[in-house]
Amino acid sequence: MTTPEPVVELEPQKPITRNWKSKGRILGIPISLMAIWAALYIASSAIPALPVPGMAGMITINAIMTAISGMILGPAAAIANAAGGIVAMMLFPYGFSAGPLGFLTVTMGGLVAGLLFADKWVLAAIAEILIIGSWFVNPKSWQPGMWLIPLPYSAIALLVIIIPPVRKWMRTSILTLHKVWMWPAVFLMCTVGHAAEFLTTNTMVNWMFNLSYQYWVPTMPYWVMVDTVVIAVSTAVGVGVLIGLRKARLPQYADNLEK
Amino acid sequence: MADTPLIVCTNLTHTYPNGVTALKDINLTISRGEYVAFVGQNGSGKTTLVKHFNGLLKPTSGSVKVFGEETKDKKVSLLSRKVGYVFQNPDDMLFSSSVEEEIGFGPKMLGMKEEAIKIKVNEILKELGLMQMRETHPFALSLGDRQRLAVACALSLDPEIFVFDEPTTGQDYFGGESIMSLVDQLHAKGQTVVIITHDMPLVAEHAKRVAVMHQGQIALDGTPQEVFSQSDLLRKLSLRSPQVTMLAKNLGLKDKTILNIPQMYQWLQKDYLGAPQSARGGRQ
Amino acid sequence: MMNISQSTLNSPLQKLDGRTKLIALMVIFILALVFSNPFVVVGLLALVLITWWIARIPWSLIKDIMQFFLVIAIIILVVQVFFYPGKINLFRISDPIKFIGFSGYITLDGIEFGIAMVLRLVVIMIVAPLMVLTTPLPDFMLALVKLKVPYRFAFIMTTALSLLPSIQTHSGIIQQAQLCRGVTDFEGKNAWLKIKASAGLLVPLILGTFRDSQTLDVAMSSRAFGAPVKRTFLLESHFRAADIILLVFSFLLLAGGIYLRVRGFGIL
Repeated sequence: MTTPEPVVELEPQKPITRNWKSKGRILGIPISLMAIWAALYIASSAIPALPVPGMAGMITINAIMTAISGMILGPAAAIANAAGGIVAMMLFPYGFSAGPLGFLTVTMGGLVAGLLFADKWVLAAIAEILIIGSWFVNPKSWQPGMWLIPLPYSAIALLVIIIPPVRKWMRTSILTLHKVWMWPAVFLMCTVGHAAEFLTTNTMVNWMFNLSYQYWVPTMPYWVMVDTVVIAVSTAVGVGVLIGLRKARLPQYADNLEK
Repeated sequence: MADTPLIVCTNLTHTYPNGVTALKDINLTISRGEYVAFVGQNGSGKTTLVKHFNGLLKPTSGSVKVFGEETKDKKVSLLSRKVGYVFQNPDDMLFSSSVEEEIGFGPKMLGMKEEAIKIKVNEILKELGLMQMRETHPFALSLGDRQRLAVACALSLDPEIFVFDEPTTGQDYFGGESIMSLVDQLHAKGQTVVIITHDMPLVAEHAKRVAVMHQGQIALDGTPQEVFSQSDLLRKLSLRSPQVTMLAKNLGLKDKTILNIPQMYQWLQKDYLGAPQSARGGRQ
Repeated sequence: MMNISQSTLNSPLQKLDGRTKLIALMVIFILALVFSNPFVVVGLLALVLITWWIARIPWSLIKDIMQFFLVIAIIILVVQVFFYPGKINLFRISDPIKFIGFSGYITLDGIEFGIAMVLRLVVIMIVAPLMVLTTPLPDFMLALVKLKVPYRFAFIMTTALSLLPSIQTHSGIIQQAQLCRGVTDFEGKNAWLKIKASAGLLVPLILGTFRDSQTLDVAMSSRAFGAPVKRTFLLESHFRAADIILLVFSFLLLAGGIYLRVRGFGIL
């Protein structure tokens, strides 16, 4: 007669008390989506677009990605942009004139626009004021004409963030995909994202290379033109992407706002 | 007219920048009104070959002539007016915000007038059963409808030759049948059709000519009957005849090649089951 | 794009822990920003170049990287030479032009400062490739995690890098598809149209890859991503003697550099 195997007492399994799902998301966005955004960001960093007589060698298509990131990923855009920026900076250094810390510029771009889109306007305003303030912390920024450099787009960005009717109209137009108003609304959101990025870049470059008003002021018209082109193109891309994501029921930050 | 050569490849060789020679000395002619299927293992050079037809790839040596003109110096956007290419993933072709806009994009690029574009778009919407979806965003369509839309986009440029890259990939049976019925309709209207596929029953059912590619060369080229009857050679090329063909062969059919189920049914009824037990070949 | 080659992987630098290299990179970066005397920055550059040679990275890569920054290097030099408030006049160019802040003289300090800034640019731009080209990605990510960078952030970077080739391929296919639809801008010479065309790639590319994110999400969950347990790592790295030596050297260099800077050495 066979004797039954002795019953082995297994260690009691610890109850899983934390929500598994929560680790797969950051600020409401799945990590998989952020990884894909970061990969798109890196891919776009390989495409030089506008030659620049001075800074960074080239403005790359990733400037468009930064400008629209806040509307698509919300505040999580800062993290996705940072991740993409670090890798892109190492693989395609010609897009980053601020060296190893260059990823901070695109992080700020995603952060300010993302916070604004998430209706955390106070935090967005604080971030924008810090960015503008950091430009003026440099003693060189008090040279003649240097106060012009944050104009016009950083000033527009700050006004958009702090004026309630503009802010509300902008968010509503984008969230409802308004046929007409969506375009200027996306233009303003792209302005917020891009302005945060370019002013952070200018501040860092100024600290690092001690350029003075004799460079910044005369080149300002060219910079404004470049920024206008980037924001305009970003608007077209942003509208196309936002409408496409909604129609195809693909994930985006706005899904969190509707709940 | 029917035998007018539209695509002529002469000693075509293509080597990618990474050094891989994907096509070796291809000589091929595709005439007007043909319905050609390119089959072969992954990496055999099928897609590389057909991308030469609309100039997406240029020969490293040899020549490709489309409608008598060398493709080497021709822009893709110009050749696309003669050779319509439908990509495997329809999403790669779609970038407008409505079905209507998507179809009208090509004629707009050609410089057609607004009125003519409207007429053309309506024609195509009707032909492909997309009328009710004219204002729908392309990405909101089902896969089957997006595939139809991709065909519509290629159709809008009025090409004489259509190239379909794996048209039934990702489709269920009915989706695949729907697409192939569309392809057959195009061929029936006189268009020249080229398809790339791994689906042997599809080739047997629809194509009139099969070219088997292997390691950058054309190993077999003939009618489906001629090609699929050579099952031993196909096996060496890592391919298989359609199951129904192989079944008929195993049942002892030697003098002809069965390509589809209706043919199989007919042969079974008429010849196989009617014959005495001893005359039936294969395993009983 | 910069790629690790077999020769750089076989260099002594490859054997170092990723953390060591990351810390050394940041030390060089900080020191490059701290000093403005060209002789000190040249010393720093020499250190970087010696490391470059030890790492067996081709010298041609320096040229490839710096070609993108040639114009800014010239601008930095010209701005400092003409407008740096120097004290040692070398030669007179013109009368002072007050409204642009030009003293009328080219100064020695201006030239020195300009050279220092250009050298700073070179150091900053070539120090990152030292890390990238001698550190396989898994080692780099492990280094970040060991330095307490949140694992999820490092995961986003690794996943992004592994998705990059397929996105680049997809982008190429979309470009081909658009060419087949009659889009001529990719093939033209007009830079503005090319930019428009590149931007036009983004919408289908973003929408197409966002579709894939749902599959990726499922794949991650089905492989226990986010399990509420303390994870272990397949790869491990430990400091060796060479790492300790380099870390000590880096800290001494940083401490020494900051001390000297505070004392006024190494600046103009």
